[in-house]
Amino acid sequence: MSRLAVKVENVWKEYQIRHPFESPSTSLKEVLNKPFNWLIKNNNDGRSRREKEVFWALQDVSFEIEHGESVGIIGRNGAGKSTLLKLISRITRPSRGKLAIYERVNSLLEIGTGFNTELSGRDNVYLNGSFLGMSNQEIKSKFDEIVAFSEIEQFIDTPVKYYSSGMFVRLAFSIAVHLTPELLLLDEVLAVGDAGFQKKSQEKMKELILSGATIVFVSHNATAVKEICKRAIWLDHGAIHMDGQAALVVDKYSKSM
Amino acid sequence: MNNPITVTPINHIEFPDLQEVWRSKGLLFYLVLRDLKVRFQQTAIGVLWIVLQPLIQLLIFYVIFGILVKIPTEGIPYPVFYMSGFIVWQLFFQIVNSSTYSLLGNIGIITKIYFPRLILPLSTTIGALIDFVIMFILLLVFLLANHYPITNRYLLLPVLVLLVMVYSLGVGLLFGALMVVFRDTKNLLGFILQVWMFVSPIIYPISIVPEEYRIVFYINPLTGFIDAFRWVFLGTQYLPSVRDLGVSSIVAIALLLAGMYAFRSMENRIADVM
Repeated sequence: MSRLAVKVENVWKEYQIRHPFESPSTSLKEVLNKPFNWLIKNNNDGRSRREKEVFWALQDVSFEIEHGESVGIIGRNGAGKSTLLKLISRITRPSRGKLAIYERVNSLLEIGTGFNTELSGRDNVYLNGSFLGMSNQEIKSKFDEIVAFSEIEQFIDTPVKYYSSGMFVRLAFSIAVHLTPELLLLDEVLAVGDAGFQKKSQEKMKELILSGATIVFVSHNATAVKEICKRAIWLDHGAIHMDGQAALVVDKYSKSM
Repeated sequence: MNNPITVTPINHIEFPDLQEVWRSKGLLFYLVLRDLKVRFQQTAIGVLWIVLQPLIQLLIFYVIFGILVKIPTEGIPYPVFYMSGFIVWQLFFQIVNSSTYSLLGNIGIITKIYFPRLILPLSTTIGALIDFVIMFILLLVFLLANHYPITNRYLLLPVLVLLVMVYSLGVGLLFGALMVVFRDTKNLLGFILQVWMFVSPIIYPISIVPEEYRIVFYINPLTGFIDAFRWVFLGTQYLPSVRDLGVSSIVAIALLLAGMYAFRSMENRIADVM
């Protein structure tokens, strides 16, 4: 058996449904009205404080991903795709079940996370790079490459607030594709920039995938999944509907639409 | 492959993974650098602002309490008396204020990428230390101008600064955790800090407080810290005993540990609460 990258075991994820005008956290008024209510809070399954409406974003999801696999996650809006990605990237924790992650994770749920527009492009490469988990040396050694790829050499010392949106996206994307990931989590960030840059970035993305990294790719775009991934998992209402060869799963999914 | 990272449901009591924090020191460095650069790039006179603001405040307090009210300061010129206390307060205030907002203020990043969240308040704590050093240089100028010598008491200074930082971070983390569950903390915090400043002996010496009430003031650990700083800078009578320092250290460390537990349990929840 080859080595594991991710193991997801009976994972459930619960979210509370918020109503408009209802504050997401307890307000002082609520506490003053019922001062000791917070003490009676019980665990995840039980009802706590007030009767709450819950939404199970994931329900008993289990699967394994092996090292070097490229897996696409498809499904309708609200099927739990992004929740799954957030769990693997450790942004949120499961309500039940557990995940085991065996490789260094680089997640790209968005590009340009942590960018500060007051700072220069150069500063932002270092800042964003370290948010993405790159080491200082790694950023330093790839700096010229990142800048060249983004095509903004002249403006690298200009504050990012003066960038056009295209320049911003190109720089952010360029940092992202220069990661050397073991396990790369992607959330539909492929299509950026003008046609020329898109082509270039898609090639770079394929290079990343061919580099042997494990890829988990969430997308609405079934064609992109088919092109990039060997395997696909189809989520429906928080549960796995189908798991198998990408071409097969995507075709079934497209027909169901 | 070696040990996997396991992601499990939230336990009620968890402690931050300090090894992981240490591994993220590169990020910590760039966050400190970011805050510094942003502050100094935006303003025309940059570093001067750190000094100018407290100087103006000093002028106001000097006129009101030094010249008009004539608060007795045991013969110490009011400006050095005030500044040697205010420097402690400023360090405390900045750390508490920035750590309280560290989770909610960075929610955009927190919901998009994983990193040890403790890095956020740590970076602003280091930022506050940089301000402290600049204020300290200003204070030294005032002290030397008023013929206060630099003595071997200054050797105790690093320990005292570290203690204040540990204590402040503990308080700030507790408030920060509270803020995630009670949004009213935002409104309360400003008020609490204002009261806190006036019950700490910054603009007045503890000696004007009647003996029988002093114990109440010493419940606030800042009182002891400010006393100790004045002992270093001004050679005031109060001499921190090893026992007093020991008690303060234990209180400060206990608060920091409590703050870290609270912060950790809230950082787990915040991505879902929002």
